[in-house]
Amino acid sequence: MNKTLIATIILAVVVGVFHFVLRPIFAIDDFSWVLNQYVYFLILVLSIVAYNLILKLRPAMAWRGGVVWLTGLYFYKFILYPPVPWTLLITYMMLWTIGTFLYVSQDEATFKEFRAPLVKVVIGEYKFARIVVFTMMPLLVGFATYKSLIPKFEEPVELRTVHPAPPATTKVHGKTYPLEEISNPFRVDEQDNYKDSFPFLDADKSEYMKYVTEGGTVFFQNCHYCHGDQLNGLGMFSHVFNPTPANFVDPGTIAMLQESFLFWRVSKGGPGLPNESTPWSSAMPPWEEHLTTDQIWKVILFEYWYTGWHPRTFDEESSVGE
Amino acid sequence: MNKKITRTFKPLAILFALLAGFYLPSAVFAAGPDVVKKDLLELGKKTYFKRCVWCHGVKGGGDGPSANRLFTRPRNFLQGTFKVRTTDSGELPFEADLIKTVKNGLPGSAMPPWGEVLSDQEITAVVNFVKTLVEDRSFDDTEDEELNPMEFGTMPWSTDVGNSSGQNLFLNVPQEAIDQGKEVFIKNKCFECHGGEGRGDGNPTMKDDWGFPIVAADWQQCWNFRGSRRQHYDPFNVVRTVSTGLNGTPMPNFKDEITVDDRWKLAAFVNSLCPRKNIDKLTNKPINDFLISSMYTEGDIARSIDDPMWDAPDDDPRLVPRGEGYPGTLNKKHYIALAGQITRGNRNFDPKVDNLWVSSRWSPSEGAVYYLVEYHLRFLSTDPEYPDAIAIQWPGKLQDLFGAEKPYFIFGDSKKPIDLWKASFLAKDYNPTNPPSETGYKLDVKVNEFIGNGFDAIKEKETPATVEIVDSIFKQGRVRLLFRRSLETENKETDVQVFQETFIPVSFFQWSGADKEKDEHNALSTWVYTILEPPVPDSIYYMPPIMAVIFIGLEGWLVWMTKRTRKMYKEGKAR
Repeated sequence: MNKTLIATIILAVVVGVFHFVLRPIFAIDDFSWVLNQYVYFLILVLSIVAYNLILKLRPAMAWRGGVVWLTGLYFYKFILYPPVPWTLLITYMMLWTIGTFLYVSQDEATFKEFRAPLVKVVIGEYKFARIVVFTMMPLLVGFATYKSLIPKFEEPVELRTVHPAPPATTKVHGKTYPLEEISNPFRVDEQDNYKDSFPFLDADKSEYMKYVTEGGTVFFQNCHYCHGDQLNGLGMFSHVFNPTPANFVDPGTIAMLQESFLFWRVSKGGPGLPNESTPWSSAMPPWEEHLTTDQIWKVILFEYWYTGWHPRTFDEESSVGE
Repeated sequence: MNKKITRTFKPLAILFALLAGFYLPSAVFAAGPDVVKKDLLELGKKTYFKRCVWCHGVKGGGDGPSANRLFTRPRNFLQGTFKVRTTDSGELPFEADLIKTVKNGLPGSAMPPWGEVLSDQEITAVVNFVKTLVEDRSFDDTEDEELNPMEFGTMPWSTDVGNSSGQNLFLNVPQEAIDQGKEVFIKNKCFECHGGEGRGDGNPTMKDDWGFPIVAADWQQCWNFRGSRRQHYDPFNVVRTVSTGLNGTPMPNFKDEITVDDRWKLAAFVNSLCPRKNIDKLTNKPINDFLISSMYTEGDIARSIDDPMWDAPDDDPRLVPRGEGYPGTLNKKHYIALAGQITRGNRNFDPKVDNLWVSSRWSPSEGAVYYLVEYHLRFLSTDPEYPDAIAIQWPGKLQDLFGAEKPYFIFGDSKKPIDLWKASFLAKDYNPTNPPSETGYKLDVKVNEFIGNGFDAIKEKETPATVEIVDSIFKQGRVRLLFRRSLETENKETDVQVFQETFIPVSFFQWSGADKEKDEHNALSTWVYTILEPPVPDSIYYMPPIMAVIFIGLEGWLVWMTKRTRKMYKEGKAR
């Protein structure tokens, strides 16, 4: 019986330490605590040990079931990153509830033990608990009904294909380009040779850096408003638009695309997208209206050089052989 | 003799100075600049030429490729004029000041927070490299350059953090301090540049040290304060600026005119003007509202902007609850971010307005919907060729759109037309150089309705006019226009019909005449939605008790069942 009390105290301590010391490292935007990473690890291990100890103490079964259930809630609500929407949270918690039920009903004895206090509440052996529960519940139900009847609206969710299938050919400035065959005419050398070269400084020394400098110039006159000075999609105008501008630093954008795909997207912009990619709200300009073909290729070269990604290519050996 | 005394007393003097330094942290000592760390220059140069050169230029003259298309322009380093410092006016900054600027960026400008991308070492290195770009002065000149750290004191009151994630909202500053701060504001004539209500609408002729036009800060949009270090509501930002001035701009310092205590009061006043919003840490801007809900109103809707019906708090109601006795019933103003139109035709890289605040009501008995659109603009146009204007854009043929489909957001496309309500206006008896006017200016508004099939295919409608501006005003740097239209019109073909409980796409355009904006040279928003909220159903009064009673019945049944089962156990009928 007092085991429950001891377990409660230990639990309070563990959760307190965990929540205020360890959790900030899971919440990425919070830098308030600066601790050694080994200290974090130690706390993590100690929390797990303490948790085991709590369950080993064998406090009341209903108490244990409650703790297991709340642990799941805590994990999904506070630790899981990025935070999940509440609909998903409810789905997860339903699964977790089933899991908790399995835990308390692992054999007949534990289930009986779990059930006993609940039955005592219902039939009134725990008189005070029954009064509280039986008056609170109808009030809660009434309140929930009230909440659900108030008209409330959230903007509709719209899904879109971020990288749609490109067309076979595209016509830019009067010339037709087959997308599967073209490559960047300004990629005159292996990109990695220029990791330690710099725009403007080395523009006179190598042809490649000359193109990168020219591409960067185009980028910083036209593209940075949305795609950002850091190419991370956080430019001055980025927060205005929905869909938000692409983040080139992210491995999911230019790193997994071919240069010819970029050529098509840059030239044709938002209006050139198919319907599944919501062409009506993409703020990407059809750059063929403002830039020359060469400028488009150079800005693509610059984007890869700056982010350090390599454009996706067809591996000639594997596609020819076998 | 004299020498001897000095010799004996020098160590003592140093000791005293040190002690004073320990015990009186606010004691001020002049220091030399932080000399350039030569060993970091190589790394700094590499970082500069990869990250910074594009705006600040090869020689640091603030003339990189992007410079001409930016407002405010990138900093010119050659003269050693740095805005955000902790030193006296005209002095060089400390290295720590520059590091903070690079780390946190300068909100409201194109300078991003580099702390997200660069390591601390790279930032220190690039700052040291930037110091070497200064031509007219030298950070190594420890004899002639004197840096006097300014006295800031500490915030004399305790504040409430509020419940915005990641932002300290600095709430509950004593009203007394705010009121006294307002007196400091009036006494020191801050309104001459910042305007009567702090929207930066005081002086249209200001230039920076290099002769480029510059505007005063809009205090009601403190997320654009340059040195806010991503704590936009921190009154310290204001105290620092008032104490140090902003080098290179017309902002002087007020260290002799305003005492440290009064600077904090002034800061309290300035901060009280800035609405509390959830601010996105990455973009340093309030989070956009993508749904404008139109409030259900019984009877007629007020046609005057000053009516309490149109009162709504600027603060996000989730962050700052409305006070008791607040006259309005509107819940909030919806924040709609604007960007320059940089996609088609004649592009606008430096829009002067970057957000609108929209609230709406509709009335079924009046059969009309109202949109109150307001925004901050420092100076209006006086040129009839280039009037100021605001437009609301709708899909022209809502009935033909399938699912999430919409017309192209810049004036539609060849297949899907848009319906545009455009209000162009000039203020009556207005001149940008007039002193702040408490009453504001009435607007001379003209409403046109257009059908758009692309930015180069916009035609004025020939059907009867349906949209009217029922009230409008320009006061202290804020334009407010009240649009009204009947829910349904006779022309069902190209007029948008506004139906109840339907999500209808809507977007906005804004033209600043003083900046020669016209046609597709404008500021715009993306598509957002609007919806006419239905009235609260009557069932809200009887359904909750009914549900509660049903639940009590269930509880009784549960008790009965449990007792019966227990009895069966006892009697051995169940196992």
